[in-house]
Amino acid sequence: MKRFSVITLLISLVWACTSDNAVSDEPAEVSFERGPMLVNWADNIIKPSYESFSENLTTLVNSFETFRADTNVSNLISYRDSWVEAYMSWQTVAMFEIGPAESVDFRFSMNTYPTNTDNINSHLASGEYDLSLSSNRSSKGFPALDYLINGLGDTDDEIVAKYTSTDKEELMMYSEDVLNDMVLLTTQVLDGWNSGYRTTFVENDGSSATASVDRFVNDYIFYFEKFLRAGKMGIPLGVFSGSPLPENVEAFYKADISKDLFLKGLQASQDFFNGKHFSSTVKGESLASYLVNLDTSEDREDLSNVINSQFDKSRELVVALDNFKIEIENNNPATNMLLAYDEVQRLVPLLKTDMVSAMSIGIDFVDADGD
Amino acid sequence: MKNALLILTLSVSVFFTSCENDDNETPINAITPTCTDGIKNGDETDVDCGGSCTPCDTGIVNPDSYVFEREGENTVNFGGQTTRLKMGDEILSAFKDDTASAAKIQAMYAHEEGANDFEDADLNASDKSVRSKTAASKDLFGANATDQALIRAEFDGWISAQVDEVFPNWNVAAEAGTAGQIADGESTRYVSAKGLEYNQLFNKGLIGSLTVDQILNNYLSTVVLDESDNIDNNNNDIVAEGKSYTIMEHKWDEAYGYAYGLNADAANPNADLGADSFLNKYIGRVDGDNDFAGIAEEIFQAFKLGRAAIVAKNYEVRDEQAEIIKEKISTVVAIRAVHYLQQGKQALSKETPAYGTAFHDLSEGYGFIYSLQFTRKPNSSDSYFSKTEVDTFLVDLLGDGENGLWDVTDVTLDALSEAIAERFDFTVAQAAE
Repeated sequence: MKRFSVITLLISLVWACTSDNAVSDEPAEVSFERGPMLVNWADNIIKPSYESFSENLTTLVNSFETFRADTNVSNLISYRDSWVEAYMSWQTVAMFEIGPAESVDFRFSMNTYPTNTDNINSHLASGEYDLSLSSNRSSKGFPALDYLINGLGDTDDEIVAKYTSTDKEELMMYSEDVLNDMVLLTTQVLDGWNSGYRTTFVENDGSSATASVDRFVNDYIFYFEKFLRAGKMGIPLGVFSGSPLPENVEAFYKADISKDLFLKGLQASQDFFNGKHFSSTVKGESLASYLVNLDTSEDREDLSNVINSQFDKSRELVVALDNFKIEIENNNPATNMLLAYDEVQRLVPLLKTDMVSAMSIGIDFVDADGD
Repeated sequence: MKNALLILTLSVSVFFTSCENDDNETPINAITPTCTDGIKNGDETDVDCGGSCTPCDTGIVNPDSYVFEREGENTVNFGGQTTRLKMGDEILSAFKDDTASAAKIQAMYAHEEGANDFEDADLNASDKSVRSKTAASKDLFGANATDQALIRAEFDGWISAQVDEVFPNWNVAAEAGTAGQIADGESTRYVSAKGLEYNQLFNKGLIGSLTVDQILNNYLSTVVLDESDNIDNNNNDIVAEGKSYTIMEHKWDEAYGYAYGLNADAANPNADLGADSFLNKYIGRVDGDNDFAGIAEEIFQAFKLGRAAIVAKNYEVRDEQAEIIKEKISTVVAIRAVHYLQQGKQALSKETPAYGTAFHDLSEGYGFIYSLQFTRKPNSSDSYFSKTEVDTFLVDLLGDGENGLWDVTDVTLDALSEAIAERFDFTVAQAAE
């Protein structure tokens, strides 16, 4: 907290120095209420996003049941389409790793990639596995389904052949177990929000390190930095390891959607920043309106604009790319994708330094120890 | 030959003694000390030089990197240390193979020449072992076979506990009172019923009992450096039989090897700190904390200058560097102990306590606390903490409830952190991040 006193002091000093040019010598009163922002987040963004995701998951399960009952290429394609839709929908909830989601380790349980195909094959062979174990997080969720739906053969005929071979029972059973696990976790998270966490979250409207806004802003930035920026782009690009790892793209077995998954996550992040209601154009109180409200001087209004412009610029460069796997495999270095990554990276200091210091929020995470 | 040397030494001593007598005859109450009065006074380290005067001409040639030669031939060798660090890394891997038997891991730890214990055939052929150098320094254990045996038994115990308690529960979810696996971010950790990761205890414990103990309490000790006729031989450039180095040079290099034995370019080790899982890695980690930036360079420079001083037969400068190394490396161990206690506390204080993350941190902290008994205060024969004090800390760490780390409180973690930090020149807050 000491840091922020110093920052406040510096800001005061800057004010003092520039007061000649300002309309008023008095700093604007901070009138922003954090409570309504939390209500907007919980009721108009987080809960509706989870509800929609949950529905997509139900559709996915139904498509699987259809495929199981009548195993053919056409039903495989429907099953895959439902998987893509649910995976896209997942991108709108992946950032909410707080409360019930954190308790069940939702994000790693649903989307740890690259998936561990050796482990999956060993589970298929033995029929003995406990998907609730930490070590099985890389053998379940969307990436495991990616392997099971897209990775078992080069063509749809080959894949369907697997599901009609002597391995049929094991494959169907494992797919069902993975889906059941995803449904169970999602239900727990949604129930958690409906049965008390919403109130806990909204009522914890102070401004301390343990207040909901401070906590969630940390979670939001952590998601942006580690999962969106690094997980979906930086790691496959080899930014951290020094050598490209195209096999680490999200949805590796259906690599033409990796870019779309990223863009969905980027859009969800920007929409959250702007307080946009789920699946609507209506906006409520948000990090953006908080920044505008904090200070009516031009500087601060600029920051929310700067952040939105940077989101837009990032999107523009990513949209222009080919699919991620092709970008990485066919270009060395993958210059265009690296340029796009750099634009995404520019959002990190804007959020993690400029935005949080304006809001007097401390960052509580550091780069992992790595051992 | 020996007699001739003895006479030479004696006459040199007499010569020096008479000079000192001359100096002492000068009245000392005449004037305030100056750098030109022909007397060693004030804060001078020799006559009219050192301290606040211009540096003394030590005759030391301090190279830019850790490169020392005699007649064009390299004199730096620490193959035995490199071998043990490699053995250590393989032992740590075995802790994570739930099909390994206790006998197998134990055999790796107490390797015997020719036994087929390791993946690396060179290690199998070696007559070195990690266990024989655990708690094996001359200064601390030369006359304390009891503690040595107790400490080695503890390392043996962590091996058997891993195999007997944790391996059978490899595919069980850990909970209070039950060993098993637990998530730490995207990693999976394997802990005892009390939340301890035995591989971390073994790893961080070896940082103290092997590397720090061998460096600070053995090879940098005058008992070892000046053993037998090492000084005479070094003074006269009499090398070890069939070698390019004097015994004293080699002892110093063996200390160096425990710190830098696996770096790609051992002459410039700070370029890739983290080359092994032991002291090297954590010199790098502490150096990476802005509060302690530069400590890696200070340690390296002291090693280098001390070695150059041996070449120049300047044992005063050599020993000054040894004291610097003792203080800095001891500080590295203490900083990491406090760091992990505080990281563990932070993980437990989350809205949803991150038990797996906390247990990983606190198990590392446990090992670093254990290692504190192998530190060494500069200009002292004592470690910063006695074995008894360390044992008490560890009892406290696990003593808040019957399930060990599952029950540990912030109060305990803070009290331990403060108790460690207060003997050093850093604060808990500095070490925490």
